[in-house]
Amino acid sequence: MTDGALAGIRVIELGQLVSAPYCAKLFGDFGADVIKVELPPEGDAARRWGPFPGDVPDSEASGLYQFLNTNKRGVTLDVTVDAGRDLFLRLLASADVLVENNPPAWMRQHELDYASVAAANPNLVMISITAFGQTGPYADWNGCDLNAFHLSAAGHRYCGRPGEPPLQHGTFSADFYGAVTAATWGLAATIGRGRVGGGQQVDVSCAEAIAATFVGGQNIGGYAQDGIFDRRTGVSMGLAAPAAIIPCKDGHVWMLVLEPGQWDGLVKIMGNPEWAQPEMFRDMFVRGENKDFIHAMVEEWTMERTKAEIMDICQAADVPATAVFTVAEAAEHPHLRERGYLTEVEHPHLGTLATLGAPFLLPESPGGPRTAAPLLGRHNDEVFGAEIGVSAGELDRLRADGVI
Amino acid sequence: MQSTRPVARPLEGIRVANFGWVWAGPVVGQTLAFLGAEVYKVESRARVDMARSLPPFAGGVRDADHSLSQHACWAGNGSVTVNLKDPRGVALAHDLIAECDVVVENFGPGIMDKLGLGYEDLLAHRPDLVMLSMSAAGQFGPLRGLRTYGLSLASITGLDSLTGYLDGPPMPMENAFADPYNGIMSAFAIIVALAHRDRTGKGQHIDYSQQEAVMQMVGPAYMDYVMNGRTGNQLGNRHPLAAAAPHGVFPCAGDDNWISIAVFDDDAWLGLVRAMGDPAWAGAPELATHSARVEHIGELHEKIAAWTAAFDHRELAARLQSDGVAAAPVNSVADLLDDPQLTERGTFIEVSHPLGFEETIYGAYVKTSASEASAPPGPYMGQDNERVFRGLLGMPEERYNDLVAEQVIY
Repeated sequence: MTDGALAGIRVIELGQLVSAPYCAKLFGDFGADVIKVELPPEGDAARRWGPFPGDVPDSEASGLYQFLNTNKRGVTLDVTVDAGRDLFLRLLASADVLVENNPPAWMRQHELDYASVAAANPNLVMISITAFGQTGPYADWNGCDLNAFHLSAAGHRYCGRPGEPPLQHGTFSADFYGAVTAATWGLAATIGRGRVGGGQQVDVSCAEAIAATFVGGQNIGGYAQDGIFDRRTGVSMGLAAPAAIIPCKDGHVWMLVLEPGQWDGLVKIMGNPEWAQPEMFRDMFVRGENKDFIHAMVEEWTMERTKAEIMDICQAADVPATAVFTVAEAAEHPHLRERGYLTEVEHPHLGTLATLGAPFLLPESPGGPRTAAPLLGRHNDEVFGAEIGVSAGELDRLRADGVI
Repeated sequence: MQSTRPVARPLEGIRVANFGWVWAGPVVGQTLAFLGAEVYKVESRARVDMARSLPPFAGGVRDADHSLSQHACWAGNGSVTVNLKDPRGVALAHDLIAECDVVVENFGPGIMDKLGLGYEDLLAHRPDLVMLSMSAAGQFGPLRGLRTYGLSLASITGLDSLTGYLDGPPMPMENAFADPYNGIMSAFAIIVALAHRDRTGKGQHIDYSQQEAVMQMVGPAYMDYVMNGRTGNQLGNRHPLAAAAPHGVFPCAGDDNWISIAVFDDDAWLGLVRAMGDPAWAGAPELATHSARVEHIGELHEKIAAWTAAFDHRELAARLQSDGVAAAPVNSVADLLDDPQLTERGTFIEVSHPLGFEETIYGAYVKTSASEASAPPGPYMGQDNERVFRGLLGMPEERYNDLVAEQVIY
C-alpha cells in the first residue's frame, strides 16, 4: 500500500504498447494499486519494441516497456479462454477501474465489452482508449498512433512543408494525448461514482481528442463560418517574425518575438543593427509580412553563437527565445535535476535504471516512479493466490494449462 | 429514454476560479466543466486576454467577445470581470475564492503573489484550497523564470529535436500542441488533488511545469539515451522504434491529399500486397520478412507512394482496412467537418452563443456512457458577473452598481 493521493483505488490494466499503459501509469504514479494483466506467453508487445541496452533484444529490458510500466504489479492471464476470463472477472470484482486499449471487436469476441464487465462489477469505470473510438464507422478499423494523429488534421494543418507529407511529432504523441485525456476523464468518473450513481464506460478516441481540442479549437469555427482553411507552412505562425526554429552555431534555437518590448530587447542584444531600425518593425504583424527578411537577418546573428549563449542572453533580456534541446541536453539539464524530475528505480535485471519523474508536483502527496516495471508474471502468486484466493492447486493447474 | 432531468456529472459541486489565460489555462477550466464543475474565468477589461483578439470573428465583428477560436477553446468557462489592479478587486477575488474548491493560474511564477493572490494568501480565505500553478518550467529551479510560449515550449523538452523530415532540421509544430495537452493534464492533476482532499481534508499547491509534463512524451527516446547514449533524431513519419514498415504518409489523388499506412506484421503486409494487386516488386526477397522490410523501408515507401497516388484518400483507406491494413485518411481542416467518424461521434457541434449567433465549436470529445458531458461556448466578458457577485456572494445591488461604475467589476 502507498499513501499517495489515489491510495485505495485499484486499477486493472488490460492493455499494451503506449496508450493504456501510460494512462494506468498516471494512476499508479499517484498511488493507485495498478495490476497489469499481460497475455501469455509473450506479454505486452512493448517488451519487443525496445529500445534495448546494447540493442540486444530482451523482453525484460525494453526501454519503452520500462518507461510506461513503473509502479505496477504484473500478472499473466489468458483472458481468451474460459478459465482465464473467469479469473479476470474475479479480479475486476475487486477493482475500481479497468483500463484497456484493445480492438472493440476483440473485447466483444471474448465477452469483455462494457456490458459484460459491468455485469461483474457495476461500480467499475472502464476506460477504453483506441485510435478512433468505440462507435462510428471506423470503430473496427485497425489503427495505430500514426493513423490517429493524421486523422486529427494536426499534421496537415501544422507540421511539415507545403507540398510535402504532413508530419507526426517523432514520438507516440496521439497515444500520449489519448492516454492523458483518458486518465483525466476516467479519474473524474472514478471519484464521481457517488454522484453519477455507479460505474460507466469512458470511450476515448486519440484522433478525436486531438481533432477537437488542438486542431478544431483553433480552426473549426472559422472554417464553418467562412469556408476557408489554412495548412502547414513549414516555417511557423505566419503572423509574426521572428517566429521560427532558426539554425545557430551548434544546432537550432526557437526565436519567438511578439510584443514590442521583446523586439526592442532583441534589437539591443543584436547590437542595434541598421536593418532592424525601422520603427514599423516594432509591430509584429509588419515583421510577419517581412518574415523571410527578418528570419535571414536574425540567422546571421544566431549563426555566430551557440544555442546556450542565445538562450541565456535572450532570456536575461526578457526575449522568449529557447534552445532546441536534443534529448541528451534535456536529460542532462541542471534545472530538471534540481527539481528531481530525473529519477531512478531499481530493476532486478537492469540494476539502477534512470527514468522520468512525475509529470507534475503534488507537495502533500508526492507521485512518481517508486518501483520498476514488473517482470512478466512477477506477481501471479501474490495477486491470484493471496488476494483473489485461488488455491495453490488451482494455480498449478492454470499454469499447466497455459492460462497463467 | 424520455427524461428532462439533467444527468449527474462526476465533478458536480466543485467550483473553480480560473485565472488561467490565453489557451492552456482556459482548457483546464473547460476540462473540469465538461466533467461537471462550475468554472469562472477571472479576467478584466483592464488587460484583455490576447486570445479574445484572435481572428476570425463571429459575423466578422472584430471585438473581444467574437473570437471564434476563443469560443471553442474556452467553452465551459464562465466569465467574471475583476480589476486586480484595484485593491477592492483583489478583495472581491478573495471573496470568490472563499467559495471555490480550486484556483487555476498560468502566469509566470511570482505574479499571483504580487497581486496578493499567492497560495499562502489564499489559505486565509479557503484553508483546504487546491491551487494549480502552471508555468513553463515550474515554480522553482534555475529555469523558473523562463519565458516561452506554448508554441515554442516543446523546444526545451527534446520533442522538437525529434520532429522533422528524415535526417533534416527540426520542424516546428506550428501551433501550441502543448497548450491543450497541458490544459487536460492539469485537470488530471487537480482531480488527483481533489481525491487527496476528499480522503484527508487537505488541499495543496500543485507545481505544474509544462516542460516536465510535455517531456513525458519524449520518454521512449529518453530511455534510448539512458540505455545507449543515443540522442534521437528526425524520422519523418517513420516508427519511433522502427517496429513497422511501411510506416508513413503517402500521396493520394487531388490537391494535398494523403493517407497514413502502417504495417506491423506479416499478415498486414500480405493484406497490403493483395490490395496493391500483387505487384512483382513486392515479392522481392528483401521484402519477405518484417525485419527485412524495416531495413529497406526507404525503397518500400517509394514503391507504395507510386501506387497510392492514383487513389482517393478516403476510399483507399477503407479498401486497405478491408484487407487488414492500418490505414486512415490524413485529414485537412476542411475534411474534419465531413469526416464520417467524427461526424458520427458528434465531435463538432453547432451552438447558439448567448450573444445571439450560431457557431461551430467542439463538444464532448470523450464519450461517457452514464454522464452526458457538455460545455457552453466561450463566454463574453463578464457574462456571469451578476450571478456570481449578486447571487453567489450576495452583494447588495447598490454596491454592485458602484463597483461597476468605479471599474472594479470591469
